[in-house]
Amino acid sequence: MVVATKQGMARVDELYRERPQRVKELKSGGKKIVGYLCIYPVLEMMTALDLVPYRVVGDMREPITKADSYMPPVVCPFLRSCLDTGLKGKYDFLDGMVTSHICDVGSSLSGVWNYTVKTPYHYHIDTPHTVHETSLEQLRGLLGAFRKSLEEFTGNKLTDAMLKAAIALHNEQRALVRELYELKKPDPPLISGAETIKIIKAVQSLPTNEGNALLRSVIADVKARKNGPVKKSARLLVWGSILDDTALMEMIESLDANVVMDDTCVGSRPFFEDVKPTADPIDGLARHYLVDIKCPRTFRAWDFYATKKNYMEDLKARFSYLSDYARDWKANGVIVESVRYCDTHGYEVPGVRDYFKEVGLPSIYLEHDYTEGALAPLRTRVQGFLEIIG
Amino acid sequence: MTQEVKTRPLNRLKSMYALRAEVDKMYEAGGDAKAEGRPVAWVMLEGWANAILSAMDVISVYPENYSSLCAAAKLAGPFLERAESEGYPTHLCGYARTCVGYSARMVELNGQIPPEAPAGGMPKPTLLVSSGEVCDARFKWFQSLGRYFDAPVWTLESPSPTARDSLTPGTYERNVQFLTNELRQFVIFLEKLLGKKMDYSRLNFTGEGTNEINRLRWEINQLRKARPGPMHSRDFWSVMSAALYRGGADPTAIVEGHKKLYEEVKYRVDHGIAAINRPEKYRLAFEGLPPWHSLGFLDDLADRGWNFVCESAYSPRRPIEIDLSKISDPIEKYVRARYRSLADSIVDEFGAEEAPKVVEEVMQEGSARRLRLRHIREYQCDGVLLHVLLSCRAASSGLSLFSDQLLDVYKVPSLIIEGDIIDTSLFNPAEALRKAETFEETMDHYRKVRKDMGLEW
Repeated sequence: MVVATKQGMARVDELYRERPQRVKELKSGGKKIVGYLCIYPVLEMMTALDLVPYRVVGDMREPITKADSYMPPVVCPFLRSCLDTGLKGKYDFLDGMVTSHICDVGSSLSGVWNYTVKTPYHYHIDTPHTVHETSLEQLRGLLGAFRKSLEEFTGNKLTDAMLKAAIALHNEQRALVRELYELKKPDPPLISGAETIKIIKAVQSLPTNEGNALLRSVIADVKARKNGPVKKSARLLVWGSILDDTALMEMIESLDANVVMDDTCVGSRPFFEDVKPTADPIDGLARHYLVDIKCPRTFRAWDFYATKKNYMEDLKARFSYLSDYARDWKANGVIVESVRYCDTHGYEVPGVRDYFKEVGLPSIYLEHDYTEGALAPLRTRVQGFLEIIG
Repeated sequence: MTQEVKTRPLNRLKSMYALRAEVDKMYEAGGDAKAEGRPVAWVMLEGWANAILSAMDVISVYPENYSSLCAAAKLAGPFLERAESEGYPTHLCGYARTCVGYSARMVELNGQIPPEAPAGGMPKPTLLVSSGEVCDARFKWFQSLGRYFDAPVWTLESPSPTARDSLTPGTYERNVQFLTNELRQFVIFLEKLLGKKMDYSRLNFTGEGTNEINRLRWEINQLRKARPGPMHSRDFWSVMSAALYRGGADPTAIVEGHKKLYEEVKYRVDHGIAAINRPEKYRLAFEGLPPWHSLGFLDDLADRGWNFVCESAYSPRRPIEIDLSKISDPIEKYVRARYRSLADSIVDEFGAEEAPKVVEEVMQEGSARRLRLRHIREYQCDGVLLHVLLSCRAASSGLSLFSDQLLDVYKVPSLIIEGDIIDTSLFNPAEALRKAETFEETMDHYRKVRKDMGLEW
């Protein structure tokens, strides 16, 4: 039963425990719910046509059983879990599923999901890998095709005016998330890393306008709270692959550390840059989703036409925003984490750690397999790391 | 009492050896170029860069092939260990980690080739040409080599549309433009790096040599449908390196080598000679990338009468005549000569009458299942060996679904063998052989099922 009167963190906790409750209500009222995987599907285009985008995630606490028939164990366990939950009917309320070329397994999952879960509408955006101008042009063309597909699905025309309005609404959400993150700057931060995951996950379970309202109530709640996180010795930045469960953060924060900032995708990554206003809104969207979102799945370089590679300049071009985060949130250490079998983050680990070393930030690399059982040995390592940086 | 001499299980093709040896020339050419101060590129295997690099007198060397060579020579281990000590997670591509370990050793030796490197090693690169095609490793890996070399990296983008998207009007032309524009930018970059203009008269944009190699490979593969299978997958992998890695540089020698190969395979077909020196009890397809470190395992299977008659990776394209006379832009001509639309490919494979049904299936299901499974029927396979690789998600992630669809459509079972392309420690040949023994009962069972269904094999 939905208790519609809950606000703030109480509502967040409710949605974290039972994510689909609101979208199921909306569906029974005639709304179409479209699932999306990762942060590359263009949400504004769905919102503009009054579709409700709903982030598809896994369940770290549910053993993977059905997905074994369709994806071998040597692939990303998060994505396998997403498929597993889909096969178990937990996403049966979806009217559509939109995926994009996030990584090899993500693209493979898209096809497997289409074949096995059979969400009525399915679309895959072949997002390019680099930030070349040619790639931007390609993405503009791809988004044009996606627009036509959505129009056919909904039976409605997607005008530039509708798109601009949706962009404004999503930018409002981005600004609210950044405002939320400002509350992590004080010492101690007013919200924990674990709570941040819950909030973002809850927001990504709601239509954008309701997500914005929730964020406002959470921000008000948090500002007024007297029982926030306790001050710890270490202030940590967490960089890495998806963390859609609070377990790892809770483990870290149970030690002498506050997680004050992150660069992860159920975290700051989708929210820290706005879509820029452009005459043709597709231009702004293409640039945002290919260039502004800083995920290792995209090949970036200091200078594509340079005839010699300058390693440090290249690292700076790719990662300097992280030292800005560390400076602004006063982080004194970094947790570099990745789920096992994540190739895009895995190749990035040596380079990002070289960068942190260059700017004087100690870091530790944690690899986990998207289960709670994997966390116990990591705890000892984090403890050791905190003693070193303490 | 006479002692029976047991022949080796595999009946290797004699013409294979000369082709296999061609790959060594790639490393010789790379070494010579470096010694003479000429540019050397480390390149990912894909369809685009080689001819452009050749036209600009850049020698291409392929680290993917070099890593498989290290694995086959059982010399990859130290490089893998070195990559791990450099901080690279152990699940990353075995090709990549071998190359990272090799690169770290080069830095230790002030840019010199490690003395322990087989085949003369790979010289220090002038540039790295990575690829957005096929998998993430192929651009992330070269990006990460910036730790060891100041060679610039260019990533050649390539579209990866879904089957349904490929059949949507507008997709093909958009992708042709994308590829054309990408290659134009690549040429601009090369001109800046090398300090000279591209001479388009030297660009083999119609690919006469490489198209002829592809045609011969295609025709040889058609011969392999015969019973008994005349050419084993091991020979296919031994010769494909010459075609893929040397075809652009020296097509004449490779064409001649493949003509001899064709003749030898044709002779076997005409005389009923098998690729194995045992009765052909089972015909199998190999799905995924081969275990370069332990190819002898397939000899053990051949000893049991398993003949690997086809494989999923590195297959030649159906040769098609394309009219490029109306296209004046050399880069666009180059792209259109190589990039075929899925719609046209479906007509090529299934004929004009059946093609619309296949297209309808793709648009409804979203996948080109019939295309993907076709070779199993054409080669009348009794089973499929799925090589699930710890370090390659691109090759492995679709195998489970493939197995499921194959059993559903053609009642052909699959055997999963877990292993790796490079790392021997991830492969247990004794356990794999045990699984193979019990799999024979499964293949026997499904033979009966197919017969009851009225399938022709």
